[in-house]
Amino acid sequence: MKLQLAINGAVRDIELDHSAAQIAAVEPGVYSILLDGRSYEARAEQADGRMVVFIDGHRFEIEVRDPRRWSRQTAGQGIEGRLSVTAPMPGKIVRLLVAAGDAVVAGQGLLVVEAMKMQNELKSPKAGHVVTLAAREGATVAAGEVLAIIE
Amino acid sequence: MFRKVLIANRGEIAVRVLRTLREMEIASIAVFSDADRTSLHVRMADEAEWVGPSPSAESYLRIDRILDAARRHGADAIHPGYGFLSENADFAAACEDAGIVFIGPSAESIRRMGSKTAARQMAVSAGVPVVPGAHDALRDTAEARDFGARNGYPLLLKAVAGGGGKGMRRVDSAAELDSAFRDAASEAERAFRNPELYVEKLIERPRHIEIQLLGDHYGHMIHFGERECSIQRRHQKVMEECPSPLVAQRPGMRERMGEAAIRAARSAGYYNAGTVEFLVDAHGDFYFLEMNTRLQVEHPITELVTGHDLVRLQIEVASGEKLNLRQEDIAWRGSALECRIYAEDPYNNFFPSPGKITRLTRPLGPGVRLDGCVYDGWTVPIDYDPLLAKLAVWNGTRESAIARMLRALREYDVAGIRTNIAFFRQILEDEEFRQGRLHTRFVDEFLERRKPFAPAPDLESIAALVAAFHSAGGGARTETSRAPRSRWLDIGRNGMLR
Repeated sequence: MKLQLAINGAVRDIELDHSAAQIAAVEPGVYSILLDGRSYEARAEQADGRMVVFIDGHRFEIEVRDPRRWSRQTAGQGIEGRLSVTAPMPGKIVRLLVAAGDAVVAGQGLLVVEAMKMQNELKSPKAGHVVTLAAREGATVAAGEVLAIIE
Repeated sequence: MFRKVLIANRGEIAVRVLRTLREMEIASIAVFSDADRTSLHVRMADEAEWVGPSPSAESYLRIDRILDAARRHGADAIHPGYGFLSENADFAAACEDAGIVFIGPSAESIRRMGSKTAARQMAVSAGVPVVPGAHDALRDTAEARDFGARNGYPLLLKAVAGGGGKGMRRVDSAAELDSAFRDAASEAERAFRNPELYVEKLIERPRHIEIQLLGDHYGHMIHFGERECSIQRRHQKVMEECPSPLVAQRPGMRERMGEAAIRAARSAGYYNAGTVEFLVDAHGDFYFLEMNTRLQVEHPITELVTGHDLVRLQIEVASGEKLNLRQEDIAWRGSALECRIYAEDPYNNFFPSPGKITRLTRPLGPGVRLDGCVYDGWTVPIDYDPLLAKLAVWNGTRESAIARMLRALREYDVAGIRTNIAFFRQILEDEEFRQGRLHTRFVDEFLERRKPFAPAPDLESIAALVAAFHSAGGGARTETSRAPRSRWLDIGRNGMLR
């Protein structure tokens, strides 16, 4: 099974196959993982619409691109209506990749935000067109600020 | 002994003092502002009184309100903690006037040590070394040359009217003096319309080492050795240790510093707990910096190494008891470290990170002491210092204490806000730190050379797995299930991460 994830802004294709990893939910949002004889503990948090996973003091911001199979929803189901793209953290817009009115496909890069010296490409959550693009290059944005609306 | 003591403070130090009061079977009175109604010190105290709105100027710094609370609750004494009113001579005097014992030195001692120049003067007359230099203007280069011959190089020429490094020159030898003097004077003239310069000895890469003192009201005073506090950020200590790696290597240095500190404190008629801070150069020569006339934030490491409860001793001597310890009763065993855990983001310019703590896992186990004010579900207020807790560890050697601190930091998890926990792990892994090569610019230099706090490669895959599982509602689903078997999800059935 293939899964696309964005870990700390970097998109990764991860392949899952048959082998023995055990996850146990030990406390709300806390998981104990056994993999290849090693024991890990992780904590998952939803913050500002993003998922953050903490393991051993390390912080991973993760966006699960293809969670459908995991939640056993029917694949191919489109996302209806307008969706807004918000700034995941306070930062600065370094580049715009689309303009208002442009048609976009799901996963297409919309703009690049820099925060903590890291550049993060924000991608379109769905196929459609860019209704509004509130972001300006060089502008400073707050976490959660709406940068674009896709319909 | 007192029956009831008011703690004129909040946060971790209020909790710290409260714990000793309880062990001494003395009733405790907490004071709190609007922001602190649900803070741990209020929850733990025997009695509590509101003293005003959240800004400390309207609550914790209001002498009148704190004394009103003390009278209303029938307090015999007030412990000021650190910060807030702890070094306020007017407060100590107001307590005396109100017939309430101030657990600390006299108002007069606080006043005398509170002025840096007066304190320096007292140190000089007590024969305690200070950083050589005079803040009077030099007449000419020859005077600076005399100074260099007496005190050695490097030295620093500074503008009398100056600040911000303008009109300042480092001089490494007598040969450089003439041109440095000329340059500095003309720069000072341009910047401040005043070419006057003064000279002081430059202490290169100094360490900050302080001596803990405690004296009773009858003239008996002893020291509890040193704490090294060179790990600072923006002149704020973030990590302390006892013994100092430098002092530990130099026979007799602790005794010499201890005696000097006692001489300085005696010259101010000092009693109760206090700390004399020194700058220490690479040769182990130490220079009086200032005296802190209160309990220090970092006092727990001294308690761990000497085995004495400093707050208890403070309370005992304040109640008029004699200090029954002689200098030779104080012994130093093993090594202790303290990390100041702040609600701040070390990867975003150490920005404060107030907010609600959604989950908390505290470090436990052998040799771990946690002085904190944090609980699961508490919201860190934006109104005060973001100190959440002081994590201190003890072990037999410095090396094993470092290993223990690393272990404790790995157990420590605070969810909902950012903390500097991981930052300490990086410092403790740093080779310079491990070698004990400390100085007050250590953190600045460390921040330039530090590598990213990079996870082991396998963790990213684990994180991905957890994210996928969590986003599928795996956790929520298993939580509600009662069957223990179903708390497990065997990913092997669905597939796993490669």
